[in-house]
Amino acid sequence: MALPEGLKDFSLAGKSALVIGAEHPVGRVAAVTLAEAGAKVLLASQEPGTEEALKATAQAVTAAGRKNPPTQVMTAAVRADLAAAADLTVRKLGGLDIAVTALDTPFYAPVEATDDAAFDRVMDDNFKSVWLACQEIGRVMLGRGGGSIVNIANVMAERGVPNAALYCAAKGAVRNLIRALALEWARKSIRINILECGWLDEEGSPALEPGDFSDKLVKYLPYRRLLKPEEIAGALLYLVSPAASFVTGTSVALDGGLLCRV
Amino acid sequence: MILDNFKLDGKTVIITGAGRGLGRAMAIRFADCGADIVAASRTVAQLEETAAEVRKRGRKCLVVPTDVARSDQVNAMAVAAFKEFGQVDVLINNAGIGEDSFGKPIEEITDDEWHRGIDTNLSSQFYAARAVLPQMVARKRGKIINVASGYGLRGGKHNYMYACSKGAILQLTRSLALTYAEHNIQTNCIVPGIFPHNEAMMRFFKGGKFIPIGRPGQDEDVGPLAVFLASDASNHINGELLIIDGGGLAGGITPTGVAPGNPA
Repeated sequence: MALPEGLKDFSLAGKSALVIGAEHPVGRVAAVTLAEAGAKVLLASQEPGTEEALKATAQAVTAAGRKNPPTQVMTAAVRADLAAAADLTVRKLGGLDIAVTALDTPFYAPVEATDDAAFDRVMDDNFKSVWLACQEIGRVMLGRGGGSIVNIANVMAERGVPNAALYCAAKGAVRNLIRALALEWARKSIRINILECGWLDEEGSPALEPGDFSDKLVKYLPYRRLLKPEEIAGALLYLVSPAASFVTGTSVALDGGLLCRV
Repeated sequence: MILDNFKLDGKTVIITGAGRGLGRAMAIRFADCGADIVAASRTVAQLEETAAEVRKRGRKCLVVPTDVARSDQVNAMAVAAFKEFGQVDVLINNAGIGEDSFGKPIEEITDDEWHRGIDTNLSSQFYAARAVLPQMVARKRGKIINVASGYGLRGGKHNYMYACSKGAILQLTRSLALTYAEHNIQTNCIVPGIFPHNEAMMRFFKGGKFIPIGRPGQDEDVGPLAVFLASDASNHINGELLIIDGGGLAGGITPTGVAPGNPA
């Protein structure tokens, strides 16, 4: 069916995209969304040992109409891996117009129980990986005349949470990285924005562990329910597409209004 | 299929300030997405021009001359919309005045100018939300989109009414969002940066050269954002400020065009 005239800016037909963290549920939704909107996608992982999960994402992308997308199992906190993924996207797909990072390693512990090894791991996986990805993707996009980047993080980029100081600091670092990069690249045709998920209905989330925290949290949420990964699709497509060509350095929260409370 | 979530076929959209600028651009974009429009503002001739553009695209447009600063007229506009279309799916509170008041010293601003501005920019949004919400609650769905401004988040020299009214719109948005979340009604705010609508404004903003992206906004830029917020594609976004300003609010602690260290 033909796309209405008013929605043509949302189409990604002819564009090439890299999704990093494509083994995660949120990354999988991102990959499928870009494919459904017409983009070719390359799927890269956050961590090694994720062959099966990445394969499941490739199958979902195939089902969305982009058969057998190329995949790259890699470590997102390693520069050489990110450089290779960015270059591979150009080689395999013919360009790198859109990049999405869905990089996340949650960490919940009191400050006094957080050692230096945890600091390095949490900052590497949540922040350094995004920094490196932006550098390597930026290198390729600047050489090719521009592009659009969306980093997917969460609402901890905006507020504090007890027992999550380090995790909040890493997400907050991503938020402000996006502002500064947006300014540095504003006249070089790279737009960069951040999507902030609310509390996700995702395996391993403390919001799903039975107990006082999850009971009280869900009642506190304006929608009285957690965010499903597939609900990020619309905002992601808006931000990466030409529909948002005057939008850079901004955040869009998917939280049902949670941030309005504080 | 993600693009289907953005469709607005058969939806009814009220747009205040629809006779020109952002309002007209949104009306045209919504018609291009299959929506019918209720166009409200004071100046009938301008509304008719917008209506002609909507109808050219095969959609209906109800023209309702309205002074949005008066609650009786806003209520009458909502009644007319319900009578014509049976329901209102989306309210876009866009009407606003006072961009040409920047630079006026405080002692020259009359009570009347202040109240006229606050009523047109802020009270109008409250009146219109109040007029459509009961029916949205009854249907358990609806979208309210309030148009604010970057000046709602930053101060400006000799900029009082405009900055205050636009800042208050952010708060109106947040409280509506929290109150009506349980009724499946999303309230969000579009925060445009510099969108000059005439030569004088273009001169005042120096052609937009201090906007990071290097150009001022064009009215058409806002259409896709409004479509996104009006559609099911944004159902988990509520109480959010969606900034569309070419990077302006990402910075601001240095002048545009220079950078510490090596030149930008």
